[in-house]
Amino acid sequence: MMFVVRMAVRETRASWKRLLFFFVCIAVGVAAIVALRSVIQSVREVFGTEAKALIAADVLIGTNREWTPAVRQTIERRLAGAGAIGTTDTIETPTMVRPADTSKTVAKMVELRAVQSSFPLYGAVTLDGGQTYSHALVEHHGVLVRPELLTTLDVKVGDRIVIGQAVFTIRGLLVREPGRMGGFSLGPRVLIDYDDLASTGLLSFGSRAGRQLLVKMPEDRIEPLVRELRRDVREEFVNVRSYRSNEDQIGRDFDRAENYLSLVGLIIVILGGIAVSSVTRVFILQKIRSIAVLKCVGASSRQVMGVYVLQVMALGLAGSLLGVAIARAAIAAIPFALGPSSSLLAQAHYGVSWSAAAQGGAIGVLVSLLFSVVPLLQIRLIKPSLLLRDETKRRSRDWTTIVAFVLVSLALVAVTAWQAASLRVGVIVCVGFAGLALVLQLAGRGLVALVTPLANSRSFPLRHAVLHLSRPGNQTRVILLAVGLGAFFIVGVRSLQATLLDEFSVQVSNESPDMFLLDVQRGQVDGVRAFLSDPANAAGDVNLIPVLRARVVGVQGSETNLEGVEAIRTRGSLAREYTITYRDHLEPNERVTDGRFWTGPSQEPEVSIEKGIHERFAINVGDTMKFDVLGRTFSARVSSVRNVEWRESRNGGFMFVFRPGPFDQAPHTYVAPLKGPATVEARARFQHDLVQRFPNVSVIDFREIMETLRDVMSKVTLAITVVGGLVLFSGVLILIGAVAMTKFQRVYEAAVFKTLGASTRTITRMLLLEYGVLGSLAGLVGSMGAIALTWGVTRYALDMPWRIFPREHVAGVVLTAFLVATIGVLSSLDVLRNKPLATLRAE
Amino acid sequence: MIQLREVSKTVMSGSEPLTILHPLTLQILRGQFVAIVGPSGSGKSTLLGLIAGLDAPTTGEVLIDEVDITKLDEDSLARLRGEKIGFVFQFFHLIPSLTAYENVAVPMEIAGVADARQRAASLLEEVGLTGRAHHYPSQLSGGEQQRVALARALANDPPIVLADEPTGNLDTANGRHIMELLRSIHAARGTTIVLVTHDAELAAMTDGRLVLRDGRVVEDKLALQPPDGARGLPEQVEGRQAQSERAEHASQGERTEEPRVQSPSSLDFARDDAGALEGSAPERSS
Repeated sequence: MMFVVRMAVRETRASWKRLLFFFVCIAVGVAAIVALRSVIQSVREVFGTEAKALIAADVLIGTNREWTPAVRQTIERRLAGAGAIGTTDTIETPTMVRPADTSKTVAKMVELRAVQSSFPLYGAVTLDGGQTYSHALVEHHGVLVRPELLTTLDVKVGDRIVIGQAVFTIRGLLVREPGRMGGFSLGPRVLIDYDDLASTGLLSFGSRAGRQLLVKMPEDRIEPLVRELRRDVREEFVNVRSYRSNEDQIGRDFDRAENYLSLVGLIIVILGGIAVSSVTRVFILQKIRSIAVLKCVGASSRQVMGVYVLQVMALGLAGSLLGVAIARAAIAAIPFALGPSSSLLAQAHYGVSWSAAAQGGAIGVLVSLLFSVVPLLQIRLIKPSLLLRDETKRRSRDWTTIVAFVLVSLALVAVTAWQAASLRVGVIVCVGFAGLALVLQLAGRGLVALVTPLANSRSFPLRHAVLHLSRPGNQTRVILLAVGLGAFFIVGVRSLQATLLDEFSVQVSNESPDMFLLDVQRGQVDGVRAFLSDPANAAGDVNLIPVLRARVVGVQGSETNLEGVEAIRTRGSLAREYTITYRDHLEPNERVTDGRFWTGPSQEPEVSIEKGIHERFAINVGDTMKFDVLGRTFSARVSSVRNVEWRESRNGGFMFVFRPGPFDQAPHTYVAPLKGPATVEARARFQHDLVQRFPNVSVIDFREIMETLRDVMSKVTLAITVVGGLVLFSGVLILIGAVAMTKFQRVYEAAVFKTLGASTRTITRMLLLEYGVLGSLAGLVGSMGAIALTWGVTRYALDMPWRIFPREHVAGVVLTAFLVATIGVLSSLDVLRNKPLATLRAE
Repeated sequence: MIQLREVSKTVMSGSEPLTILHPLTLQILRGQFVAIVGPSGSGKSTLLGLIAGLDAPTTGEVLIDEVDITKLDEDSLARLRGEKIGFVFQFFHLIPSLTAYENVAVPMEIAGVADARQRAASLLEEVGLTGRAHHYPSQLSGGEQQRVALARALANDPPIVLADEPTGNLDTANGRHIMELLRSIHAARGTTIVLVTHDAELAAMTDGRLVLRDGRVVEDKLALQPPDGARGLPEQVEGRQAQSERAEHASQGERTEEPRVQSPSSLDFARDDAGALEGSAPERSS
C-alpha cells in the first residue's frame, strides 16, 4: 500500500501540469454545482424562515371582488370559532400617481396597497435610512413609496403626490414589506392607510382592486380552518390559503430549481469527465514502458492500477476543492451584484453550504474516477515483455472492459438521477447528452471526412494540418465535442434572443398601438375621446372597447358538462377571471373556424369562443355556457369558434366575445389601445394630462414594457450565455490540455520538419491551419446544433416563425475558429521555439 | 538454479505460425556468469524473457529454484521477479518521472523492504552515483542511466541478474565500466548473471557461453569454461540443443525476425513504446 501511495505521489508530482487543465474542467463544473446549490439553499432558507412573512399571515383569504356581507359573515363566524388571534384587511390595486406640483408633467403606474393599523401581523415593514415604521406614518393621507418612484416623478420625501382624486404626502421610503415577494409587477409599491382609500375614488365600479383578509391563528388550528373555509366558500370567488401550503409549494419549486440547475453544472463536470477519460487514455499510452518496468521489477497489475487510480482521485479531489473555492469566491460577490434591493434575495446570507460542497466534491471525484476506469483497465493488458521487444498485440474483445463500460454508464445515470432527484430525469439527461455527443461526434466525423481531400492539397502546411486531424492519438473528437458544445450553447442562445427580440420589435412597430388605457368609465368615454382626438395629444385613431370581467360558472355541452365554481376549478385556467367584450364584427386578426358570427344585436345572449378554449376544454358550437358577470349569472349559447392571431392582438384578443344586446346597459368600463406620442417627454406629459383629467384611468405603456422585457431578456440571455461561456471555457481548457498532452509528439515532428528544411513560419502556418480547421469544424458543429435548437424551440415552444440569423452563425464559426487557432498556437509556442538538434538529442 | 526443459516459443506471424525458439533444454547453476551470444534475431532476448517469466513458452517448462514459473499467474510472476530476478536492459528503461534514487528504491518498496532508503543510497554508492541520486534520468548520461539500472537490478539482492545487451547502447568506455561492475557484482555477491550480447569480446569475459542462430543452439561452450573458483559455488553449466525437435517446427525453421532490431536511438524506442498499444506520443516527464 505504501508503495502505491508513494508512487502515486511521485507520478502526480511529475505529471500534474499536464493533467491540470482537465481537472480545472472538473473544478469549473463542481463550482457551478456548489454555487447554484448553495445560493438556492440560502434563498430557500430565507423563504423558509420567513414563510409567514411571505404572505404576512398564517391564513390569507382573498378575493378580486367586493366582500359580500354573506361571505364576510361566514368568515367572521369561522374565525371566531377557530380562535383567531388577530386579523387585518388590506386592498391592493394598480393605479396612476402623479406629482401634486402641476409643473411636473409626469405620471406613473404603481401598485397601491392600503393597510390597517394592525398590519403587518408577521414580519416588519423596513424603511430607508433606518426610519421606524408605524401606522401613524400613513394616517391622514400619508404615503410610503419606493425610492425609484421619487426619481420617476421628480419628487422627494415631504412632497405631495396625487393618487386618484386624493393628495398624499410622502412620509418615507419603503425598502421592504411583508407579503411582497418581488417578481413581475406593473409598477413600484405605494403604501397608504386603509381608511384613506375611499377618498381616492379608486374603488368605483370596474376597479381591479384585490381584497385580502390576513389572519393570525394558533398553529394547530390553521389547517382545519383552511379546510372549513374552503368548503364554506367553494361556490364563491374567494381564495383561502395558509402560509404552509405556500411554503410547501415554494419548497417544491426550490427543490426542482436546485436539482435542475445543478444539472448544468453536472454537464460541465461530465464534459470534464470525458476529457479526463481521453487524457487518461493518452496518459496510459505514454506510460506503457514505465508500467512494464514496474511489472518487471515485481509490481502486480493491481498495484500499478492502484497508483493511477489514486492519482486520478487526488487530482479529482484537488479539482473539486478548487471548484468549491471558486464557488465560494463567486458567492461572496453576490451581495455586491444584487446591490441595495427590496427583494428577498438581498436578505439571504450567502455562503457555501456544507451539503452543496460535499455533493460537488463527491461528484468531482466520482466523475473523474468513473471516466478513468475504462482507460485504466488497459494497464492489465500491458506485458513487461515489451521491454525486450516491441509487440503489437492484436486486440481481442476484452470483456472486462466491456463490463466496466456498462457499469460506468449505469453509475453515470445513477449520479445524474441523484443530482436531478429523479431517475426519469437522470435517464433522459444521460440519454440526451449521449445523443447530443453522438450527433456532435458524427457531425465532427463527417466534417473531418469532408476536409480530408485537402490532405492532397498543394500547400504543405494545409496538407499536414489536415493529416494531423486524424493522426494516431489525436484529440480531434474530444475538442470537437467540448468546444462544439460550448459554441452550440452560445450561438443557440444568441439566435434565440435575436428571434425573440425580432418578434417583439415587429409588434412594437411604428404603425401599431403602443399604449393601452384601462378603466375608462362609461361616463368618461366622451371626455376621453375628446382628449385623445385633440391634435395636441397626438393620439391618432382611438377605438374604445367596452369590457367587463366575467367568470365561467357552468358548461352544458355535447362533450363537457360542468356545474358550479367548484367543478369549473377542476379545469384549471377555465376558472380564472376573463375580460370579455361585445361587438358585432370580427377584428382583422380574427377568423371564424366553426359556426357563424352574428350580425347585429340581439337580446338572446350569444358568445363566440376562442379556438384555444374550444380545444382545451372541449366546448363546441351549440353548447351553453354560464357566466358570472358582476355577481349576476346568465347563460349564453356558443355560436362560433374564432381563431385569434395573437401576434396582432392589440385591437382585440378576447377569449370570449358576446353579441351586443344584453350588456349594453350593464355597467362596464372601456379600454383603448392607441398610438401614443413619439418622444419620451411627450409620452410622460400625455399620461400626466390624461390622469389629471381622469384620475381613475390607468395607462400601460408598451414601450416601457418592451424596455422591461428587453432588460429581462438580456439578463436571461446573459445568464444562459454565462453557462454557455463556462462550457466553452471548459472546452478551451480541454483544448489547451489536449495540446499540452500531445505536445511532445509535435515538438519531435517539428524538429524533424525543421531538419528537413521547414522554416518556423511554415510550421506556424501548419499549426494555425490545423487549429483553424479544427476550430471551424467545432464552430460549424455548434452552429448546426444551434440552428436545430432554434428551429425546435420556435416551432414547438414559442410558436413563432423560424428564421436563421446568419450574422450570429458566421460570427460563431469565425470566433470559434479564431479562438481555437490562437489558443492552439499559443500553447504550442515552445514547439516553434525549440532548436531541432536539442529536441532530437533530448529524445 | 535455472532450468529450461524442452522450451520453445512459436508466435503467429499473420496467419502462419513462426518458431522463434526451437525446443531447448539447459541448466544454469547458481553463481554462474554466462553469456548468450548470437546475431540479431537469433532468439537471445526471447530466451532471456522466458527465463524471467516475462513471456510464456509455447512448450516446455522453466524452473527457477525448482519452481515451474510457466504455471504461475501474472501477479505471482511479478512477485517472483521482484524477489529473485534483477533486470538490466539495453535501453536502461528507467522510469522518467522518478529520480535515480527513486528508481532504485521502487523494487524494494514493492517488496515492502523496511530500509529501502538506506539500501537505495548504498546501492547508488556501489555504482558510483551518490552525487546524482536526485537527478532525473533525462539529466543523466547513458552510462549513468545504465548504472542506475544496474543498482535497481540489485535492489532486492536477487540471486539472478539478467542483462540484455547492457552495453549495446553505450560507448566503449562506459560499456567497459558496466561490464566491470557486473563482474565485480558477480565476484562480491555470487549472483548468477546471464548476459545477452552479440559481442564476442564481452562473451569471452564470462565463464561460459551459448551461441544461438535462428532460434537454435549452434555452439554450446557453457560447460567448457570452468567457472571462477574464487566464488566457491557449485560450478556446472549445461546447455544442449534439445534432442527432439518437432517436425512441424523444423519445417518452419526459416525464422526471419525475432525481436525487432532496436535502433541505437532512444528516439525510436520512444515512438515504438507508444506503438505497442495503439500509437501515441512518447513517454516524457514534464
